[in-house]
Formats: sequence, C-alpha cells, structure tokens
Amino acid sequence: MQTPIGFVRERLPISGDRLRELTNEPVPHHLKRWWFALGGTPAYLFVVQIVTGILLAFYYQPAPGTAYESVRSITEDVAFGWFLRGVHRWGATLMVAAVILHQMRVFFTGAYRKPREINWMVGMCLLLCTLMLGFTGYSLVYEQLSFWGATVAANVAEGTPLIGGMLKRFLLAGDTYNDHTLPRFFILHAALLPMALAGLVVLHILIIRLQGVTELEFENEPEEEKQSHFNFFPDHFYTELMIGLLLMILLSALATIFPAAMGPRADPLTTPEIIKPEWYFYVAFRWLKLFSGTAAILSMGFIVFTMFFWPFVDAWIRRRTRFPEASVWIGAIAALAIIGLTLWEASVAH
Amino acid sequence: MAEAHRNETAADSEGVDRRTVLTGASGLAMAAGLVAGYGAFGAAAARYLYPSEPAKKRWLFVVEAARMKSGDSMVFRAPDGASVAIARQSESGNVGDFLALSSVCPHLGCQVHWEGAANRFFCPCHNGTFDPSGRATGGPPGEAGQSLLRYPLKLENGLLFVEVPDVKLAATDPVKPNSGEVC
Repeated sequence: MQTPIGFVRERLPISGDRLRELTNEPVPHHLKRWWFALGGTPAYLFVVQIVTGILLAFYYQPAPGTAYESVRSITEDVAFGWFLRGVHRWGATLMVAAVILHQMRVFFTGAYRKPREINWMVGMCLLLCTLMLGFTGYSLVYEQLSFWGATVAANVAEGTPLIGGMLKRFLLAGDTYNDHTLPRFFILHAALLPMALAGLVVLHILIIRLQGVTELEFENEPEEEKQSHFNFFPDHFYTELMIGLLLMILLSALATIFPAAMGPRADPLTTPEIIKPEWYFYVAFRWLKLFSGTAAILSMGFIVFTMFFWPFVDAWIRRRTRFPEASVWIGAIAALAIIGLTLWEASVAH
Repeated sequence: MAEAHRNETAADSEGVDRRTVLTGASGLAMAAGLVAGYGAFGAAAARYLYPSEPAKKRWLFVVEAARMKSGDSMVFRAPDGASVAIARQSESGNVGDFLALSSVCPHLGCQVHWEGAANRFFCPCHNGTFDPSGRATGGPPGEAGQSLLRYPLKLENGLLFVEVPDVKLAATDPVKPNSGEVC
C-alpha cells in the first residue's frame, strides 16, 4: 500500500536534485561575497511590502474623511498594527536604499555594459517605480506631509512643458486636491505600481537568466576561483535565505525601536512652516529650491534621461574619447553630489 | 578534495559519519529558526486580522431622573448605533426604578417594538414576545429562553447613566478643495 508521503511525492516530484536542475543557473564565484548579493535584497523587501501592505489594507480606508483616522486606528487600536505599519514603513526605506546600493554596484562594476544595456533600463524603471511607490505610500496617511507633498508634486508635474497641465489633472483627478485624489493614490500604490514592479522584476530576472550573471574578477582572487561557478540551489538559495532572515530581524528591530509615527492631520488651508519629504526625495527637493520651476524640472528630466540611456552614453565615451573609464569618475561625482545635496537638505530647516 | 574527505570520513566510521550528523543538525537548526521567525510573524499577522477584543464600555448620561415619571419610556441611541429602550417602572428614588433593555431581538437580530395594548415587546420577524422586564415569553426566543439584553444603569446626583460599548467615531468631514497655491 502506498504511504501518504509516497502519494504526495509521486504527484509533486520535488527533490534537491530536481530543484538544482530547475534552477540550474551557474552563479559566478564572486557572489560568495555578500556585498555582491544585493540584487536579491530589494526583491525580498518587495515581498515583505506586499505581505504587510495587504494586511494594512484590511483596515485602511482610502477617503479624505477616514484615511487619517484609519491609520491612527491601525497604529493604536488594532493588535500588532503598530508593528506591521512600522515594518511596512521601514521596509520602504530599506527597499529604496537597497535599490540605490544595487544600482551603484552595477554602475561601478560596469555590469550594465554590452550586452546588458536593456536590463539596466529595466532596472531604471524599477528604481522609478520604487520611488513612486514610496511617494504614493506616504500620501495615503493623509497627514500634512501627505497633502502638501501631493500638492507640490502635482505642481511640479504641471511645470513639465506641453503635457504639464494634463499630468497634474491626471495625478490629482482634478485641478486641486479633492475627494477623488486619495482613492487614486491608493489604487496606484496598492495595485498598478506593484503589478508594474512585479512584471519588471520578472523581466529583470529573466534577462539575467538569458544572459547569465556578469562575471567579475578580482586581483587578489586565487586562480582556481576565477571563472568558477556554483549552483543556485542550494548554495546561493541559502545565502538569500540568510539575507532574508537578517532583513526580517533588522526590520522588526527598527519597527520596534523607531515605530512609525503620525504627523498632524492634513489641513488644506495651512501649509506647515517646515515641511520635508522622505529622505530619498531630498535631492529633488533641494534641486527645486536651487533652480527656478521649469529649469529645475527640465534639468531633472535630463538627468533621469541620461541615467536611463547611460550604457549607450558610456559606450560612446569609450569609443570616441581617450577616457575609457570616465564613467567611474562621472559616477563618483554624481554620487557625491547626490549625497551632498541630501545632507544639505537634511541639515537645514528651509 | 571535499569528495576525498567525505570518502575518508565514511571509511573511518562504521555508522553515520560526522558530516552527515552536522549537516542534519544544522539543517534542523536552520529550519527551526525559519519556522520560529516567520511563524512568529504569521501569528502576529493572524492576531492583527482577528477583530480586537470587545469594545471597552463607558457610562453615558441619559436623562435627569426627575424628568421621567413611572410608566414613562424613552429610546436612547448608543454610540455603536444600538437603540436602548429605557423605562421607569416605579418611583422609589433608586436605580431599581429604571430598566434599560436592548431593542435587538436575541433570536436573529431584528428590532423589537413595544406593544402597549398587549403589554409586551414584540419582534415582527419570527413573532418573538417579551414581557415588560425583557424576559422572553413566546416565539423562538421564548423556546430558547433568550431574553432581551439588559444594560447596566446607575443614578448619580439625580442623573441617570447607562453603560454602553465605547466606540471611537471616525471624523467624517470631507476635504474642501484648496486654492492650489504652493510656496
């Protein structure tokens, strides 16, 4: 007679060998260095955000009259609500940080170069999607920052030549913030952007599988490790599993020690004296203070455009100039500028 | 090299070799860590989804006792939406003169109403009947012995208070469109 385990095994033929076969992606040896395994971090955090986000949506009510009270209720009344909201909020911060760190690693190791230009562009879309998720996320709390952040963002969008007015109306569902604005942000945050992000992640990983992981070599690497590979399953899977557990510990600690707070309720008639977006928008916020409206918007658009097509710009520089490694210097200057502007914005009230 | 080491270890011992024990033990420890970690998160999530414990109760002012004579009754609307029928049945001057009954039928939740001619509460859904003290006298509630819920009352300085579930009411003021000005 067949045992229950035998019954299941026959219908779900899963074993270590089968998994090894299914995920048979040769992983280059440099991924034994944990610093190079950062790509999986935002993907893991995305899963954490989906799980905690679905749980938060059980109690959240996306309407101007009820949003703030429902978030307060989640934070103060519902069992473990403070914890899940804290994990979601810190997960967003860490996800943005992880995406930026991953992108910097890819940039400074030149992993975006031919033939991986398209995957860099997919990565740029992932970065923009992540930032938009962050923006729409803190807009949902309906505190002062949510309201005025959305108003400023809509007016920034309006500064775009030709299509600005349309963009603003599309974002706010009207000429000003109104009853339809918050549901719009909610659908963007909880449905459209996560679906887009999930699709892009699948595409990102698919392209990695098609092209293989970039091979990196190090000067101090033993000869036998160069060009050597190991299996995705179980070796790299275990690394990712451990990174996942460490992230959960970190998120739980952050959510407990620095719980997600709430600012004052949105007041459409009073802009607060000091208002700042989340830290990852400090650069853009400072930029808007440094340059006049349209100039700031056009220059930011140009920078994002250049970043998007950087693999081709870099190829042109390498082909046409005598500075083949110029990208490293440009990247270092850009990184320093971003850090400098962020610190500048963080250190002053206005 | 690892292969050679494995063969050597296997050859050294008759039973289970050390590598197998260590692999099994570390695998078990890791699985236990995973189950404990994610299990704790799952338990917290399940508790979060389960509705919170019954709402705390609060004493609310109803009426000045002197304004109700024996035989008077009134309907008090509790913050959770429940209507409470409050009646004065005697005039001895203590809280026992008053009675506060839920108007929700304990059978299937319909609203009961007072029928003065028959001196009873009547539920139109399934013909449940209750005497003036709320005790079930007929219909399905009578058969099951389900009386109307009684709310606690107290009298303080001539003021009548009823104890009802404390419900936080959400703000419902709609947002007014702003001028769109930004600084």
